[in-house]
Formats: sequence, C-alpha cells, structure tokens
Amino acid sequence: MELIGILSPMSIMLCFLGVLIGIIFGSIPGMTATMAIAIFLPITYALDMIDSIGLLIGLYVGGISGGLVPAILLNIPGTPSSLCTTFDGYPMTQNGQGEKALKVGITASVIGGLLSLTILYFFAPLLASVAIDFSSVEKFLIIIFALTIIASISKGSLLVGMFSGILGVFISLIGTFADNNEMRLIPPGLEDQLVYGFSLLPVLIGLFAIGQMLIEAEEGMKPATHQNIELNKGEKSKFKFRVFKNQIVNLCRSSVLGTFIGILPGVGGSAASITAYSQAKSFSKKPGNFGKGEPEGLIASESANNGLTGGALIPLLSLGIPGDSTTAILIGAFLLQGIEVGPLFIPTNPDLWSGIIFALILANIVMFALMFFSIRYFAKIVYIPKYIIFPIIIVMCAVGSYAINNGVMFDVWTLLLFGLAGYIFMKIGIQIPPFLIGFILGAQCEKYFIDSLKGSGGDLTIFFTNGPVAIGLWVLIIAALAYAIFDNLRSKKNETREAA
Amino acid sequence: MKNIAWMTFIVMTVLLLSACGSKSASGGDSENSIDQSRVRVVIGSSSTGGDTYQNAEAVSRYLEDGLGTNMKVDAIGAVKAFDELSTAKDDGSTVMFFHDMAYLGVEYGSFKEENKLENWTIGPVVAINPGNAFLTSGDAPYDTLAESAEWLNENPEETITVAIQAGGVSEIVFDGYYLWAKEEFGTGVSDRINVYVTGSQEDKNQALWDGNADIIHGSIGSNSEYTKKGVEDKIKMKFLGVTASERVEGYDIPTMAEQGITVNGKEFTFDKEFFFLMPKEVDEEFATKLDQAVQEVVDMENYQEDLQKNAYITNYIPAKESTDYLLEKREEVNQIIEEAPDLDKIAQ
Repeated sequence: MELIGILSPMSIMLCFLGVLIGIIFGSIPGMTATMAIAIFLPITYALDMIDSIGLLIGLYVGGISGGLVPAILLNIPGTPSSLCTTFDGYPMTQNGQGEKALKVGITASVIGGLLSLTILYFFAPLLASVAIDFSSVEKFLIIIFALTIIASISKGSLLVGMFSGILGVFISLIGTFADNNEMRLIPPGLEDQLVYGFSLLPVLIGLFAIGQMLIEAEEGMKPATHQNIELNKGEKSKFKFRVFKNQIVNLCRSSVLGTFIGILPGVGGSAASITAYSQAKSFSKKPGNFGKGEPEGLIASESANNGLTGGALIPLLSLGIPGDSTTAILIGAFLLQGIEVGPLFIPTNPDLWSGIIFALILANIVMFALMFFSIRYFAKIVYIPKYIIFPIIIVMCAVGSYAINNGVMFDVWTLLLFGLAGYIFMKIGIQIPPFLIGFILGAQCEKYFIDSLKGSGGDLTIFFTNGPVAIGLWVLIIAALAYAIFDNLRSKKNETREAA
Repeated sequence: MKNIAWMTFIVMTVLLLSACGSKSASGGDSENSIDQSRVRVVIGSSSTGGDTYQNAEAVSRYLEDGLGTNMKVDAIGAVKAFDELSTAKDDGSTVMFFHDMAYLGVEYGSFKEENKLENWTIGPVVAINPGNAFLTSGDAPYDTLAESAEWLNENPEETITVAIQAGGVSEIVFDGYYLWAKEEFGTGVSDRINVYVTGSQEDKNQALWDGNADIIHGSIGSNSEYTKKGVEDKIKMKFLGVTASERVEGYDIPTMAEQGITVNGKEFTFDKEFFFLMPKEVDEEFATKLDQAVQEVVDMENYQEDLQKNAYITNYIPAKESTDYLLEKREEVNQIIEEAPDLDKIAQ
C-alpha cells in the first residue's frame, strides 16, 4: 500500500506507458533508451516530479530491455548494450529456440534489474563513495579488461580478431581530440561531417543489419526463407525456469558486474555486458558452446545490461554524477523541476528517493509481464518473409540513424557506409564483433589513458603503482588473456584432430 | 492480450491528443504571431543537463505562446548547430541559442572563422548564468582565488593546477586569473600555475577528487551541492569566487572583482550570457517578432521564477543593441586572449 501512497495512480500509469514505449524504442534498431528519454524530457516539465520519474524510469527500463528482441530474433542489437546478446541469442533462434531465448533473456533482465535495484537501495551512498576512488587509471584498466574479450570471441584466428579490434579502436579515434580541439584522422573534405567522429548507433546497426542483409541478398532471398525457422523446435526448446537452476552464480555475478560497472561514471553499459559475457565464458564448464546458442552467455549479457540500470543511478543519486548517457539526461529532468541532484539528494528528498525505488520495482515487473507474456507475438517476426521484413528494417534503421543526433543526414550515410564495410569485412574475414567492441571502447580507452598520464605528469609507471585495485585489475587482464590464448590453442588442436 | 493492446493504444492516443490540444489551445498573441508552425532551436551544447539547454528550454516554452508556434530545442552541439544555421532557411524556422562560447570558440580556434558573429544576425540577449565559479577542495589552504595566488607566493615549492575546458568560458576566466597572478606576483608565481584540460563538469570534479587538479572551474548550479554542510570530506568543495560582475543572491561567494583581481588595470569580471543567433539574411519581420516576444517573456514573473530555480537571471538586451554589445565584449576579451598563455605550454 505504501507504493500507492508514494506513486500516484497517474505515475503508475505513466510508468506502465513508459515501459511500453521504452520496449518499442529498444526493439527498433537505432532507437535507444537514451533517445526515448530525450524525446519525453520536455513533456516532464508539465508533470509533477514523481509522475515524471514514473515515466522516465519506465522508459529507461523498457528501453534497455527491448534491445534483446531484435538481437535474438534478427541478429541486430537494438541497443549497444545488447551486442553480446546476439552472440548466443541469435544462434538459439537459428536452432529453433527463439521463444526460449527471448524468455531466458527477459527473465535474466528482470533478475538483473531487481538485483541492481536492491544494491541501489541498500548500498547507494557507500558504493558511490567507492566509485569516486576509481581514478582514470583504474577506469583505463577496466576498459582494457573489457577489451580482452576480443581475444576470447575471436573465431578461428586470434590474430585476425585482434586486428579487427584494433581497427575498431582506430576508427573510434576519428574526430576531434577534446584536450586541444584539434581534428585528427579525418579524410580530407569530410571535416564538417566527422568533427565528432562516427556515431556509434549507425556504425553498430550498419555493420550488423545492413552488412548481413547485403550478404543474404547476394545469396538470393527465397520468399519463404524465414518460415523455415521454428520458434519451439521439440520439447528441449520449451522454456522452463529450470534453465536458471545452474545459473544462480552466473546471474548474480553478471548482475553485480553490470551494477558495478554502471556505478563507474563514464565507463558505460556496453562495457558492462561485454565484461559479464567474458566472465561467464571464462568460468563456464562448457566455454566451447559460447557463441553457438548457449543460454549461459545470453543470461550473462542480459542480466548485466539490466544490472546497469540500478548501478548507473547510484552515482547520480548519491553524488549528482550520471553513470551513463541515459542518466545524464535524467539529470536534465531533475534540473527542469529545480531539484539539485548531489550528495545530499537522498537525505533531503526522501519521498522522491522512495518514488524512484518504487518506480524501478514497478518498471521491472511491468517490463517482465509485458514482454514475457506477449513475446510469442513479438517472436512471430521471424515468420515474416525476408523480402518484406528486410526493407522495413532498412527504413527503421535509416530513421533511427537520422534521429539519433536530432536529425543529422550524415548519420544515415554512416549507416550505409558501415553496411557496405560490414559486407566487405565478412567477405575478407575481418570479424565484426571484435571490431565493434574496439569501436565502442576505443575512445574511452584513450580518454582514460591520457587522463592518467596528465595526472601523473607523463609517468607510465602510474598504471602499475596506483594501488592494489590497479594490481588486481592487471592480474585479471593477464588471466583473461592467458585463458583466451590457451582456449584458442585448444580449439585449434581439436579442429586439427577432427580434420585428421 | 488483444484487449490490452487496444486499451494501451487508446490511452496513448488520448494522451498524445491531449498534449497536442494543450499546445494548440494556448494560441498566441496575434500581433507577434509568426507564420511557421514549428521553430527548431538548435543549441551549442549536446547536453540536456547543462545551463544552455535549461535556458533554451525555458525561454522556448514561454516564447511558444508569444509567437503562436511550437518550438523544439535540439541539443546537437556547437559545430553541428552552426552547420544547421548556415544551411537554414531565412524564414526563422531554425534559430540557434547559445552563450559567449559562440564567439570565444572562434577566437580560441575551436570553431571555424566562418562562424564568427559578423556572419549571423544576432538576436536578443536573454539571460545570464551568474554562477560561473572556481572551486577547490573543502580542506584547501585558501578560501578565495586571490588567496590561492598569495599562497603560491608564500610557498615557492608549491604549484596549483586548474581544471578547465579549452576554448570556452572556463578558459577566458582562467586567463583572467593567470594574467592577474602574473601582473601581481610576477612569473615566479604564474609559472607555477598549470592547467588540466578536460571536458565535462563531471571530469573536472573527478580531477579534483583524484588530486589531479587543485582548483576547478564549475558553477553554482552544478557544484553547490558539494559545498553544503554534511557532505563527506572526501568530496567536499568550497567556492573560491564567482566570475560574474555581481554576487549571486543567497550565496556568500565574492566576485573576482571584489577580490581585487584585475587585468590591465581593469576589474576582471565575466558574465556568461545567453542569446539567439539567426541566419544572416533572416526575415526581418521574424527577427522583430522574436525580439518583441523575448521582451515580453523576460518580464513574466513565472519565467523569472523558473530561471531562479537554477540561479539564472533574466538579462534582456534588445536585438538592435545586442550586436554592438557582444562585439564590444568580444573586443575586450580579445585583448586578454592575446596576452593569455598557450595552454599547450602550461598544460600538465
């Protein structure tokens, strides 16, 4: 009953509506939770703060969760943080387990969201205090740790995977170097268009969606291609909650990792799901199944990216520092109402704080109910013939790309350019997931590297002498790399044995 | 399930229609009404949490009624905003809202020369953010900017690093502080003032907490929460001075001028002002109506109260005076920029 006392019927309805709209935004390739919140931000001025919170939290949770639908069904990550969901989600769909994959993803999402919410409620001020002790050195090492996944997901050749990742990092550095406002690496004549570099979303969906469609178009599209996929192929493909029985540790580890990375301002949601996926693979008893339709990988990615929702709110509400780009827009909503968000926010706004917590609980439950019970209708997308669904996806991708920066035509060209690049990459063997991970994390990696050197006066030893956390992170990085190299050698040996 | 889908559709449609209804019902003053049904306001910041967005959103919200149109604020960042303005139609359907960085960026070389003020029609000045300030850690051995330079003078082994963003308001106010320290105490002190060039306010705060900076540029709106009683020592900050010409009501923070900070014998102050920019050949009728509507808005108590929530104040300078006003302000800062240190040389 306390829920009704704090959240008015209006805010509950707005939260419900927010989740629904958020899911739609997250499901459409190119549209994100950040975009949904930005669009609805001006409307919040006309609402009470608590009603605004209901709407915005709903959009946030729905937007983050919706990304799994196209990732699993179409191999197109709806949002950057659902990139790792494609690794096992789409193979599950191809194996006739599409509905099961969606339900596993949704359940992992709601558990990740609720776990991070619990952490937010009980430990917010304490964790925020720990987060600011993470200087640029530790943040740089966390990014490097996330980059080590490139080694473990490189299929076939480790060297080619690393090359793809480095190419992604290189492309991410195109644009303006913020410290001196100098442009760099920009091809002549494109200075105006590339002053801020390539936008992430058009690159992501161009490589995944357009590139893949070009490959399939080349092979020819039979009208009934999609209808060959079954959503529930046999008894094994039925979703049962039992699938989580051996996944408690994975679920908790991934949710906590997602929450913790969300807490670190500037590190971002993509790093959360990438790190969780990498860890799930390292600790798994069957790492060889990862990338082939293993629910364990899907659980790691989805629980981590929803774990981020509570995590990113921790520095926002305890320090006034947004944990990711979406919470940066949430600050705008508070400021429009004249509410300062800072270290005293929780003690001075107890009702608002409770409202946020209740809105998060409600949004997660609504998200679960809306998605879990309606997913069989969503999943029918795979039955739509490709010659109908592909043009629709291309139009949605183009609209999403145009809208992501409030109407920049160059972003649509970026989509098409990287679509073509994706097609060429697949032809010549450059691996797209490592490229994208390099692209997503490259600019942050450089920023924290430079910031660390600025702080140390150019002394490179700072990365080894900054304290026990830095040392701990080095141990994790080396262990992850060693494991990836060992795994690569082992699978090569297996392949040779099978060939013989 | 079908019923739920229909119910949701109906609720969404009703909400959308009621939102549209409230806009169109607001109507407009027939004298000031413009022809466009929609005006796009591009702003020089890509953040929706900063002072540019807040000021643009507030003035646009009130102007909608005055102009009888819908206004949409797009946070697309300075470079893209200038690009949009350069290709915009002359009918006023796209205008830009920004602050002093519009010309400071050109003078510091962050923006292209073709974006200089002379190439636009300058609209009215609308508001001031008087809260631009410098801050330091709660336990720093000085309480004002002037004292920080004195402290450097008394402690020849020490240095001070100031976190700023290159090419904008924070650089010009840092230049003022640096040149005064040089003039007052000589190069023995100014040579020990370094800069930590970084981007967002969060980065500057983190630089202070990491110990990479001793002083940061910030604002009352963004930083006052860290200065309050009860904040943990680790993140506690204190204001060293505001850069505006007058103190901000409700805050006991001295201005730089009050602290005796001068450049070339003149008191150093810098008011961060927000104004409209329009295409060079913008329809005169539109420009006049916008100016009149802004004049009406700044007199509205509700608008003033909205600005007050975030410690901003109205500051209307009519369009016919704003060009000369801003060009003169630019001329003054140019003298400072000419004498200012090269950031590359004093960067940490």
